[in-house]
Amino acid sequence: MKRNIILLVVLFSICALTFYFLLKLPDNSTRKAGPCRYPQRIISLGPSVTKALYLLGAQDKLIADTIYCIDPPEVKKKEKIGTVTEVNIEKIFNLKPDLVLATSLTNPKAREKLKNLGVRVTTFSTLKDFNDICNQFLELGRLVDKENEAKEIVKSVESEIILIKEKVKGLHKPKVFVQMGARPLFAATGSYFVNDYIEFAGGINIAKEAREGIYSREQILKENPDVIIITTMGAMGMVAEEEKSIWQKYETLSAAKSRRIYIIDTDEITAPTPQSFVKTLADFEHILHSGEQNEK
Amino acid sequence: MRSKVFYWSAWILVLFCLLLAVVLFSFCAGPVNMPLKKILKVIFEGRGSSEYSILFDIRLPRIILGFAIGGALSLAGVILQGMFRNPLVEPYTLGISGGAAVGVCLNIVLGLSRGLGIISLPICGFLGAILVILLVYSLSLRKGILKIHGLLLTGVMISFISSSLIMLIMSVSHTEDLHGIVFWVMGSLEEPNWLLIKLALGIAVFGLAVSYFFCFDLNAFSLGEEEALHLGINVERVKRLLFVIASLLTGFSVSVVGIIGFVGLVVPHFSRMFVGRDHRILLVSSFLCGAIFLIFCDSLARIIIAPLELPVGVITGILGGSLFIYTLFKKQVSLEGK
Repeated sequence: MKRNIILLVVLFSICALTFYFLLKLPDNSTRKAGPCRYPQRIISLGPSVTKALYLLGAQDKLIADTIYCIDPPEVKKKEKIGTVTEVNIEKIFNLKPDLVLATSLTNPKAREKLKNLGVRVTTFSTLKDFNDICNQFLELGRLVDKENEAKEIVKSVESEIILIKEKVKGLHKPKVFVQMGARPLFAATGSYFVNDYIEFAGGINIAKEAREGIYSREQILKENPDVIIITTMGAMGMVAEEEKSIWQKYETLSAAKSRRIYIIDTDEITAPTPQSFVKTLADFEHILHSGEQNEK
Repeated sequence: MRSKVFYWSAWILVLFCLLLAVVLFSFCAGPVNMPLKKILKVIFEGRGSSEYSILFDIRLPRIILGFAIGGALSLAGVILQGMFRNPLVEPYTLGISGGAAVGVCLNIVLGLSRGLGIISLPICGFLGAILVILLVYSLSLRKGILKIHGLLLTGVMISFISSSLIMLIMSVSHTEDLHGIVFWVMGSLEEPNWLLIKLALGIAVFGLAVSYFFCFDLNAFSLGEEEALHLGINVERVKRLLFVIASLLTGFSVSVVGIIGFVGLVVPHFSRMFVGRDHRILLVSSFLCGAIFLIFCDSLARIIIAPLELPVGVITGILGGSLFIYTLFKKQVSLEGK
């Protein structure tokens, strides 16, 4: 009886050991990067990256992207390899990209796995301010051999921004709250680039000092913003409309009194390129300083 | 005696064949179509091609991790069920997985893994697991007698508490850590680090080998703790050691792949249906069945909504949860019948 058990244990240990050594085989396999300096087969894992590639005119090098990449419209024809957060490693690898452009939202394990497989992965971090947007855009330009185009776009955008800043100089600074999510109530804090929309457009972000994005309604009522801007959450903007009507019920809120509660399309606000940044900034400037005549 | 050994060996052989079949299925299944013929061709051509990399750098690590984690979780399930003499006990329902999860989340948020290396993850998982198992056990002891229903309820409540704690940790953590936790909680067999995969396999096999030293004790436990004591077993010592083994297996599994529920429930149950209650065969067959089950579920998760991937916990959760309810119902019926 006991012999049988010992035999079983030994058998199992042998199986385990063979498995273990089998494992050691494929340990350090890496693929060499191609000889070409500039990548010809790019996979984008974020809508903003996809948009920037189109802006730079590098769209023919883009071979695949995520199902969230819908702008510009012709991008829908590209191969899809997953969502912004969960990507299909096998599919990416099988497309043989020479550059994968990931974002901070991409699953870190997937990024590491791709790197282990010898795929060149560049990760763009969370956008903290306008400078970040420009720097990442320039870096992307360098990566895909469109540096001059990138520089030109950034330059023209910067001059446009200076114009807007000049325009709002000396005007009254309204207190602004930008709501990025409804449940939970999510604010654009000072460590997110949306803060720059408010400040460049000559407003004061009441949530600037908040450490976390999750914000309380009470706090907002206490701060009493002059303007509330809601980004559309969900395809139809239903949630945003609902939120707007909730805000409107607070009679003491100056934004509700003066009916300055606005809704802005979320795509522009979450997937910025320098160009879309300045476009949205113009919208903000309009909202903050055009006063009462513009009730959407 | 001889016929029993024969039956057992035949059973193990069958399981090995099944394991082989599932492994082959897992090799074939995926967004990149790989029929069996092509796989053979790719293997003979050797490394260099992208198909080879897909097979051996993407699919093989997942299969191995599935083998190790499935085996480890089922083994933990068998050990706990044997100790508590209850078929509904498993790491997930006892809250041990939850405890391990809290440990790992704390590790991510406090940045221990950056300071102490990746190895601190399983250590935190183990500590969380063993803390919960001790808590659950001591809470459900009344005057030295173990109340099984109390045990299960305490375990489920501890699961809830730990998921709330995880949410608490998530709501105060920075964005980058938050992403790490979210991805980890969803549970996936995708693990880029070979060291962790090897370690998982090592611990699973180690757990199996060590648990075999206790197979007679576990058999004696099935008669009741008092009877086990009369049979000359040092009940307290054995229980402590088994606790440590179960926590080690669970804590490590959870820290590598996240929360994958109910593997430890479904698999021992099915094994028991086929091989009976003798732990000498039950331990090893549960281990193998667990490996087969998890590899299979993972392959399914990969192909159901390709190119997107389901978290593997979704599939094990649906299968396991339904089975849990079914077992509970059956048990009530049989009790009423008596």
